[in-house]
Amino acid sequence: MPEVNGLKMPAKASEKEMKNIHIDPVPDDQKVEVALQHLDEMRKKFRSFVMAMESCVKCGACAENCHTYLGTKDPNNIPTNRAELIRKIYKRYFTLEGRWFGKLVGAEDLTLDVLEQWYSYFYQCNECRRCAMSCPFGIDTCEVTFVGRQILHWLGMVPKLHANVGAAMEKAGNHTGLPKPSLIDTLEFLSEEIQEEFGVEVNFPVDKPDSDILYIPSSADFLLNPYTLMGAGMFFTYIGANWTIPSTVAEAGNFGLLFDQRFTQRHNVTRLLDASQKLGIKKIVWGECGHGWRAAKMYIPTLADRPVKWPIVHLHDETSYYVNTNQLKLDPGKNNHPTTLHDPCNYGRACGMTKQLRDVLSACVTDFREMTPNQEKNFCCGGGSAILFDDPEMYDLRIKFSAKKAEQVRATGVGANGDGYLCAPCSICKAQLYPMVEEHKLGVEVKGLIDLLGKALVWK
Amino acid sequence: MPFVNIGGKEVELDEDGFMVDPEAWTEDCAKYFSEGEGIPEMTEDHWKVIFYLRDYYKQFQIAPMIRKLCKETGCSLKYIYELFPTGPAKGSCKLAGLPKPTGCV
Repeated sequence: MPEVNGLKMPAKASEKEMKNIHIDPVPDDQKVEVALQHLDEMRKKFRSFVMAMESCVKCGACAENCHTYLGTKDPNNIPTNRAELIRKIYKRYFTLEGRWFGKLVGAEDLTLDVLEQWYSYFYQCNECRRCAMSCPFGIDTCEVTFVGRQILHWLGMVPKLHANVGAAMEKAGNHTGLPKPSLIDTLEFLSEEIQEEFGVEVNFPVDKPDSDILYIPSSADFLLNPYTLMGAGMFFTYIGANWTIPSTVAEAGNFGLLFDQRFTQRHNVTRLLDASQKLGIKKIVWGECGHGWRAAKMYIPTLADRPVKWPIVHLHDETSYYVNTNQLKLDPGKNNHPTTLHDPCNYGRACGMTKQLRDVLSACVTDFREMTPNQEKNFCCGGGSAILFDDPEMYDLRIKFSAKKAEQVRATGVGANGDGYLCAPCSICKAQLYPMVEEHKLGVEVKGLIDLLGKALVWK
Repeated sequence: MPFVNIGGKEVELDEDGFMVDPEAWTEDCAKYFSEGEGIPEMTEDHWKVIFYLRDYYKQFQIAPMIRKLCKETGCSLKYIYELFPTGPAKGSCKLAGLPKPTGCV
């Protein structure tokens, strides 16, 4: 379903797929009424949303700061205009001037067409929050996308990709749908690969009781990112950690943050807390996943339905600590490639994790070159919030959304000789950038950060 | 959900053109999908990849790690892309009758 009424949009989940994630799609003739009820609830609950609705003066500062607008030049991808798709409805039904003067003050009736517009444009937003940083009022337009997607979810309008991931999480405990035997098979395979390539014995304990560290990998690592898992396994082995991976929640991501911040997001958290308690662990260490780290660090404390007694840290909080205290012997010569770093938006803008990445990367490669802008000012890869749709229309948008990133990478010169590395320590960034570095002919290979650390380790 | 006639049998496909029921797969299905995936002729190596995927799926109900697929079949990732121009996930999984991989892939 690439285009409806001229709108680009990802294929929607079927009724059956929506039921799998506990939603009975609302019939078309009731959608408008139900959407308005939810919008009313949301505005009463979320002040951040009301602020976005009430405070924008249309200064336009966000426009040139949004890579989706820069890549497509579609005016509805200007963050304030995207928010306007809801704001005009909010005005019409929940403000005095909108009720009285309607279109004269930019208010508009909610219709099915407007809902389709929401679906199209809220799934062209990467939820990267670069616009929030540029807004003089501090309006976080991502919060508007959150509200839009949540209401669409309740109506039964969710991309197939997101709905199927939600269902896989509930069924298998990870987004990719990997049953426990396949997790173990892959990890045993990687142990052999590590032995063969690095000559060291590394085991990946699964569900091992009384472990100190519960390591939460991204499940995409089991299909696509072998060195990310291998790097984590080598790091934990090197520091002599008593660690394990839980089969019931082998997932660093949490798509609930991206389309359903109620059941779907909470379900994932509940699984994590259950596994932590059952395995008697002391600390939770998060793998390379941007949105998942935001969901973990920023949402678990308030989303958990019981006391959380375990510290939750990121893998690169750990690795940077070990690097900065000189506890790892690293040979950057093992990664002798011009390397640049893509800051995942959810690390830099949502979780304040930028220095750690640099401390580790500089210790693991010979030639690290910053791209500009970077850290909290970095541009999104264009895959943010998992808009990794692959039908030709949506794929074409992904190429446009990554144009700014391509420009940034090119400007570093790391790919000039075709042997550069683009370090992108996040599963969505990796899934987006693997094909995009080819589309934009950047001359770089995409690498995780722990991948490079694993390779650089010097074993006694 | 659309049905297509493959070798005299009605086969159900999802919106991405993947088989809904991997059990209903026959070699005719692979030949049928090859036409839409830019594969002019099915070679021995195509079948090697397809049968490996099917065996793995039968045992684990999921596609293998791509690195494992490459290692076990002796095909480099580059060669897999030559065999299946749309890649291991979309191309070879579709021909092998496996569901479309989901998640951040």
